[in-house]
Amino acid sequence: MKGCKVKRIFLLLGVFFLSIMSLWAVNHTITPETTVTEVDPVIEVSSELRKQYPIKPHHAKLSMDCIHCHEGQGTNPEEFEYIGDEGCLKCHGSKEKIAHRTGYMDRFHTNPHNSFHDGPTLSCDECHQVHQESINMCAECHDKEVPNWMKVTAP
Amino acid sequence: MIKKFIEIIRKRLLVALLVGAIIGLITVYASYTAISMTGTPQFCVVCHEMAPMRASYDKDVHGGMGESGIKVNCVECHLPHDNLVNYVYTKAKNGLSEVNTHFFGNPDLIDWKKKREYRASFVYDNGCIKCHTNYETNQKISAKARQMHRHYNKLKGSDKQLGCASCHAEVGHKGLNNMLNIYKPQHMLYEKGSAIKKAEIDMRLYGEVIEISNKVEEKTKTER
Repeated sequence: MKGCKVKRIFLLLGVFFLSIMSLWAVNHTITPETTVTEVDPVIEVSSELRKQYPIKPHHAKLSMDCIHCHEGQGTNPEEFEYIGDEGCLKCHGSKEKIAHRTGYMDRFHTNPHNSFHDGPTLSCDECHQVHQESINMCAECHDKEVPNWMKVTAP
Repeated sequence: MIKKFIEIIRKRLLVALLVGAIIGLITVYASYTAISMTGTPQFCVVCHEMAPMRASYDKDVHGGMGESGIKVNCVECHLPHDNLVNYVYTKAKNGLSEVNTHFFGNPDLIDWKKKREYRASFVYDNGCIKCHTNYETNQKISAKARQMHRHYNKLKGSDKQLGCASCHAEVGHKGLNNMLNIYKPQHMLYEKGSAIKKAEIDMRLYGEVIEISNKVEEKTKTER
């Protein structure tokens, strides 16, 4: 009788584990493809250079490094150049897309990315300075109104 | 009593197994149906405070605006898919806290902008990756995108780990920033007329509900 009980417990345990295992197997996450064919170049950037060209908080938060913007400009950081609108838009899409992001401002023609004066054509660095303090070009004339229109230019 | 029961089971093992299997099947099917039925946007929106999120979702490729028209349910991105226990636990936890805010809290006090800063914590990467399996090797996305996805993979598991939503800020909700600024303008200028715009969107989202409640109101007025 005692042996029977033990057997039964084992049987129950077995069924339990099998069901848990099958649940786990069904639910096991798909692992993404990770065969890396492209390799990023490794560059050495001196701490003086880093201090001279600091990375703004919204990019630093994503642990971005010099090479992420200055790609294809060789391995010597001293020779890195201005990446232009084209460089920014590689990640940020297009000027139209950015204009849409702040599209709620269009109702009063105050959308800085689809400006009343210039449309979605301004250069990014008219306002957004990557290695120094950003400016708000709208405020150069509309300095009284701008605080009611938009926040401080993203760094 | 229990001994007798066990005796019966022992004698009719086959019948007991069959009954057990049927009960098991019914339970599994019922809980599966319950989980999937409570996973649609139509269900979520009943309690979740998410009008701007719903309105912007409707404009996104994930909300059926893509070429294929496929719609992705809220739960695919906003619940963890690493294991079933975690999935059900998070679902129940979120559900309870939302019911609490909906019935006892003040939804107007929710600071959406602040919450969006923590977006990577409520957009689950394993949900994204379930569909976007080859984000690192896909040749149809730009070389820049692949580079940044390698960056993401490199940081995975470290204390600097990123979420998909860290960079893809409006993913699944096209024009979310616009919607939020209609519902709760950040700057003074846009407060003008925002109530009308908001009502327009609400009407589109919950049109039937609003119409019905209006009719009921009219009816009670005429009855008086």
